[in-house]
Amino acid sequence: MTMLELDNIQGYLIRGYAHMLYSRFVYLQISDAGSAKIWLSKIWKEITSAKHFHDKSKISSTHLNLAFTHDGLRALGLNEENLGAFSREFRQGMVAPHRSRLLGDTESSSPENWSWGASHQEPIHLCLMIFGNDKQFVDNLEKDKVVCLNYYEELASEFAGHGLKELFYIDGKTQPDNKEHFGFRDGISQPIIEGSGRVGDKDDVIKTGEFLFGYKNEFGVYPDSPLIVKEQGDLNLLSSDTGGSGQKDLGRDGTFMVIRQLDQDVNKFWSFMNENSKNPDGSINVAESLKLGAKFMGRWQNGAPITLFPDEDPGISSLVNDFGYAKFDRDGLKCPFGSHLRRQNPRDNVDDHGRKESLKLSKQHRIIRRARLYGEIYEGSPTNLTPKGEVGLVFVCFNADISRQFEFLQYTWANLPKNKELYNDPDPIIGAKETLDPGEEQNFTIQDIPVSKTIKNIPRVVTVKGGGYFFFPSINVLRYLSTL
Amino acid sequence: MKQNSITFLVPVIPEKVQKLLDQLKEIKRNSKQGISKDLDALSIIHYARWVVIDHGKSWIGDTEKRNPKLLLVLDYDGSQNEMLLRFSEQTGNILDLVYVFCKGYPPLDSLTPESRVAYLNEHKIHDAAVYIGAPGRSVDQIQKEKHLRNFIREFVDSRNWEGVPAQTIHSRIKDEVLSNPEFDFLQQQTVTFPRINYPGVVLLGIGLIAIAPLLIIWALIVHYFYERKDVNFTRKRSQLSDVLLTELEASEDFKHQNQFTQLVDMKEGNVRLISIKFMFLLSNLLIKFIFNQGKLMGIPTIHFAKWVMFEKNSRVLFFSNFDGSWQQYLGDFIDNSGWGLTGIFSNTKVFPKTNFLITGGAYLEEYFLAWSRNSQLVTNYWYSAYPDLSIKNVNNNTLIRVELMKTLSERRAAKFLKLL
Repeated sequence: MTMLELDNIQGYLIRGYAHMLYSRFVYLQISDAGSAKIWLSKIWKEITSAKHFHDKSKISSTHLNLAFTHDGLRALGLNEENLGAFSREFRQGMVAPHRSRLLGDTESSSPENWSWGASHQEPIHLCLMIFGNDKQFVDNLEKDKVVCLNYYEELASEFAGHGLKELFYIDGKTQPDNKEHFGFRDGISQPIIEGSGRVGDKDDVIKTGEFLFGYKNEFGVYPDSPLIVKEQGDLNLLSSDTGGSGQKDLGRDGTFMVIRQLDQDVNKFWSFMNENSKNPDGSINVAESLKLGAKFMGRWQNGAPITLFPDEDPGISSLVNDFGYAKFDRDGLKCPFGSHLRRQNPRDNVDDHGRKESLKLSKQHRIIRRARLYGEIYEGSPTNLTPKGEVGLVFVCFNADISRQFEFLQYTWANLPKNKELYNDPDPIIGAKETLDPGEEQNFTIQDIPVSKTIKNIPRVVTVKGGGYFFFPSINVLRYLSTL
Repeated sequence: MKQNSITFLVPVIPEKVQKLLDQLKEIKRNSKQGISKDLDALSIIHYARWVVIDHGKSWIGDTEKRNPKLLLVLDYDGSQNEMLLRFSEQTGNILDLVYVFCKGYPPLDSLTPESRVAYLNEHKIHDAAVYIGAPGRSVDQIQKEKHLRNFIREFVDSRNWEGVPAQTIHSRIKDEVLSNPEFDFLQQQTVTFPRINYPGVVLLGIGLIAIAPLLIIWALIVHYFYERKDVNFTRKRSQLSDVLLTELEASEDFKHQNQFTQLVDMKEGNVRLISIKFMFLLSNLLIKFIFNQGKLMGIPTIHFAKWVMFEKNSRVLFFSNFDGSWQQYLGDFIDNSGWGLTGIFSNTKVFPKTNFLITGGAYLEEYFLAWSRNSQLVTNYWYSAYPDLSIKNVNNNTLIRVELMKTLSERRAAKFLKLL
């Protein structure tokens, strides 16, 4: 195992910047490629790398990362032959008709209703990710916001003079305990990239090539990296294809970033839980409602996995992550087969495969998640379920193979209702449809003794409002792009 | 009842091929009120497809000048003649609209169901290997068992069973089901779930051990005298034609099932022919003895699949009807089934590099996925009799039925309840 060149990898892939509670994602268009390349030739030096600091005081109070859409690379002047070397998913973008069908982006979630990223809207070229943290304070959102926005102002003052047009921005917040709007702790289980220097459970250590081009993936082969087909720019800045083709590699130490703005209907979620767990007299049974919510999610609100704590929330925030389903819950009696987390990372229990085979399959479909909240900071619960205005999260994930990782998770493990031995059960958080075909059912099955129970007609609680596929290049490649 | 599969390959009148493609597009567009409705009414056909081949660009680099042909594939129940007769009675008008563009189709005013069948029978081609995910289950049985499971589920969900012994629940369900005339068929026919044929497996194992030295020598010959000269497939998915992929994707992922049609050319020479024939023989035996439980080499998502060789064994067609999306799901089963897929397809032209017939190939994930997509054909019309069921559902429904009709111990009854 080789150590990765952390200086060359953009930091957000390896680190979640969890202590930076405030962020602003700015979406830009390139109006003048020449000026934009001058900007890029300066800004790449400011990009936050994945370099590790033992001395925490040396960590900068602001972080900056940058990603391109396919349109953006074209606008910058990458020629058609080289643009064609990217994977089809990235070239097509998230809103191609077939992709929308696959991802379940229909009805209210259909791109025609999106606020951004759809084909009828202004094409996005860049996403600039700006983070801030006031080091004088601990976990202070307002103070972090000031630092973040000051940095933004500084950066934004350079846009107009450098051929960059700001289209819009979305501010993302993080709660100190990382809870999302339904009230559940998020982002607990993350894959660890082999060679990144991070440590953790061996079942979470994933081959580098699942997340970075230029390294072998879980199949033992190199991922489909964009290679230079037609020479342009200062090619000395690029490394050669590790796959041995002799071509220069645009992808190495970079990856793809998926962004989706997911609107959360907190009221619909908890009303449904309340309704399906109420007392015989019709009043809300808070404990049962919380339990049902935990069954849907796979963890209690404080983060404890229901596989290990099946009866009640242990209360203290539990980040326990070292468990398998085959070992503790083969029959789904604790964590139902259909729960969001069990579907999205089935660990050692994929279909009816053995543990070893299951782990292998699970590892072929991992993503690194980086969600941030938008709208009012709100912690939903059975009795606290009506936030002011729209709330949701900006879901971000990283993967080298969008088709086999992000899209597989969304289609095969979330939208398809046939997971495991199930019949009519899509993922209850991100896979439910809005309207059903005649005769179609949409349920959540809770395995139980003596016999399982069906929660019928689960609602769609998450609506997609925007999104896109981005290329998240290495820092060297950012520099290279300024030489096109 | 036994399930069977049949393939017809009919020459198209070359100058009529565009008209045929337009006609099939029209049939597909109206299929819900047209042919698919007719096939639903027949209730003996599981899957059907029409595919026009050799009419346009060959994405696999086939340089041979070929004339267009129309494939018809039917997976059906029972006797071939009876099925064909009913098929051509039910869909006769549509058949005429299609086959009028094909060579030698009888004049329209002289057509009868019998003459349509006779025409198709002249163009039959043989299957090399056939896999069935739910052997023994007819369309009718699959539909009845679906209703049975839904009925039981409804009944179970309508009551609180807390503290009730599993045996009691089992017999309450049984009483409820048997008091409903809709399920009278349960008492008229008993069914069993297919079993693994262990004596067969042992015999096959002994046979393979006995010829192992020969197989090893064979693999060495293939490796040193053939594989090293192979032209290999070395493209990645990003390098495939957008035109082809756009056309393929246009009819994918609408429901929970998908289809796959693939056409490749055989490598020349008898060594390759013998190798692939041996692999088909082995596949057929394994399918008969072991892969009769709903999984093909560990793949739990295939309803019907088959390989066909035609034009003097110079070309190979592969058809599959499966759950989920091919491109993404195929990757999951490389680990389990890679050797089998490689053993067969390494004998066809421009496959990812193999060693000793069964290594390399499919295990080179990126090239293999790209190869699979690149050799795929556009299917012009496709029918599934039960698009709402996965093959796991189909098999589970049979298990529910079988166990329902038995008298069960408390332990077995608890297991039965898990199936619901």
